[in-house]
Amino acid sequence: MAKHSIMVIDDEKIVGDMAKLSFEQDGYEVETFLNGESALERLKERRFDVVVTDLKMKGVDGLEVLRSIKKLYPGVKVIMITAFANLDVAIEALRDDVHDFFPKPVKIKELKASVKRALGEE
Amino acid sequence: MKIEHKIYLSNAVHILLIVLIGMFALQNLNEILTKFRFTVIAEGLNANFLEMRLAEKNYFLYGDNEAFNNIKTRIDQTGETLLQVRPDIIRAVGAEKYTTLQSHLHAYAQLVDSISKADHRDGAVQQKLREAGQNLKTFSENITALESDRIGAIIAGSKNILLYSFWAVVLFAFLFSNLIVRNIGQSLRKVVDLTRAISTGNYRKIEEKPSDDEIGAVVSAINAMAEELHKREKEIVQSKRLASIGVLVAGVAHELNNPLNNISMLAQTYAEVYDGLGKEDRIGFMERVDEETERLRVIIHNLLDYAKPKEQHLARAITNQVIQKILALVQNMLDISNIKVMLTLGENLPDIYIDEHQIQQVLVNMATNAIQAMGKGGELRIVSRYLPEHDEIEIEIGDNGKGIAPEFLDHIFDPFFTTKEESGTGLGLWVSYGIIKNHQGNIRVASQVGAGTTFIITLPSCKKLKRCTDGEA
Repeated sequence: MAKHSIMVIDDEKIVGDMAKLSFEQDGYEVETFLNGESALERLKERRFDVVVTDLKMKGVDGLEVLRSIKKLYPGVKVIMITAFANLDVAIEALRDDVHDFFPKPVKIKELKASVKRALGEE
Repeated sequence: MKIEHKIYLSNAVHILLIVLIGMFALQNLNEILTKFRFTVIAEGLNANFLEMRLAEKNYFLYGDNEAFNNIKTRIDQTGETLLQVRPDIIRAVGAEKYTTLQSHLHAYAQLVDSISKADHRDGAVQQKLREAGQNLKTFSENITALESDRIGAIIAGSKNILLYSFWAVVLFAFLFSNLIVRNIGQSLRKVVDLTRAISTGNYRKIEEKPSDDEIGAVVSAINAMAEELHKREKEIVQSKRLASIGVLVAGVAHELNNPLNNISMLAQTYAEVYDGLGKEDRIGFMERVDEETERLRVIIHNLLDYAKPKEQHLARAITNQVIQKILALVQNMLDISNIKVMLTLGENLPDIYIDEHQIQQVLVNMATNAIQAMGKGGELRIVSRYLPEHDEIEIEIGDNGKGIAPEFLDHIFDPFFTTKEESGTGLGLWVSYGIIKNHQGNIRVASQVGAGTTFIITLPSCKKLKRCTDGEA
């Protein structure tokens, strides 16, 4: 069985680095991006099974990433994380069919469980 | 007095003048009519007297009895006529002259009666009768001529007076309407000035007590509106302040959550992958935890520093000197970035009453932002000028840098809002805004992407604050 691929987008470098370490440990293939623009470029080239993205970023933000993914790959699940625990934004994100929403600080175990659910492994 | 009443009064004065003129003209016409009636009567009498004298002459020449009877008939007729027109004559020339005329006629009649018995050829009697007849005729003709002259004089006088009163009424109408129009014009201009002042956010009332006319009512209404607007603006400012506290808290949460999340993820991952890590990797993890902790420390330090209530040390200061001082502070940055300064300092600016350290902080912040927006090369524009209509000083700091996108302009004074990639805390403009507002000034921004950004700061003059005599507070 081929490895599941995960895209992680966050302008905080540590988030990408730690997610990569942790998810690769569990046998996932992980690519990290520091902004929405470079992530969207990469998405034109290939599909990921799950996308984990920060909400508030300069330039292309998490909601734009979500909308682009839903256009390009309607089946791909998107998990949103943010330091900006704003409920209004969360509701808007959920309406746009976000798979899950995590306020920072994130519990990696919960994130992993959410990714598994997204992949239909549970 | 109300404008309405002023106009009523003016109309009343006009009507009164016209009635007076009319009454005067009517009275003159009546007098002329009386005199005219008299002259008609007098002409008849004069004709009668002439006939009497002719008959008298014939009687003396020919002793003609018919002529004598003619004289007597004429005397009787004249006596009757005099009695009939007595009131008219008295009204025209007075009772005295009427009596004189009657007595002259009476004397003449007596003489005629005496002649019938004496010889008509008696020279002495003839002479006496001629004299009496002449007296009667001359007296009558004289008063007739006199009254004709009077009629002429009355007509000439009336004509002049009517002419003068006509011009007087015209002049009065002109002056009075001019006065009212000017009055209304002045009041309306005051109202216009007042509404202009209010539209620029200056809620001063017209100082004098509003007059009790219609314009006064308008001024009172505007004053009430200004008061209400001022109250509402305060409420809006208050609710904006509460909203900005909300923005601040949300901003703080976001700023703190990022490094907290980083530490948390480092710790969780560290525990998870611990077995696979070499010594260097483990040290690397801990160093990154330390870096994130340092980041938190800096954020909290900055917050505390900005939140600390700063005591204002207000004193009178010279605007252009403050600008020169901050230029010296940023000179090094200007040199490194090879930026030219275009300085246009207004002459004879009034002094300001400020905490110089705080205002310098604001100006340095503006200049630093401008320098960073321009990168290498460019032109820093600093202008100071006086706005006499508001009694305020305006300081403009502009750059020809990359400009700010319109969607960001509304947020640049929000706490933690920054367009700078790495270096910004997003607190500089927020703090500057607070400082300028605390100085009862204003700060606004104009920007065009690709053309540059200009910050415009206004501060009240020390005169406006009534603090020109204060030194260090």
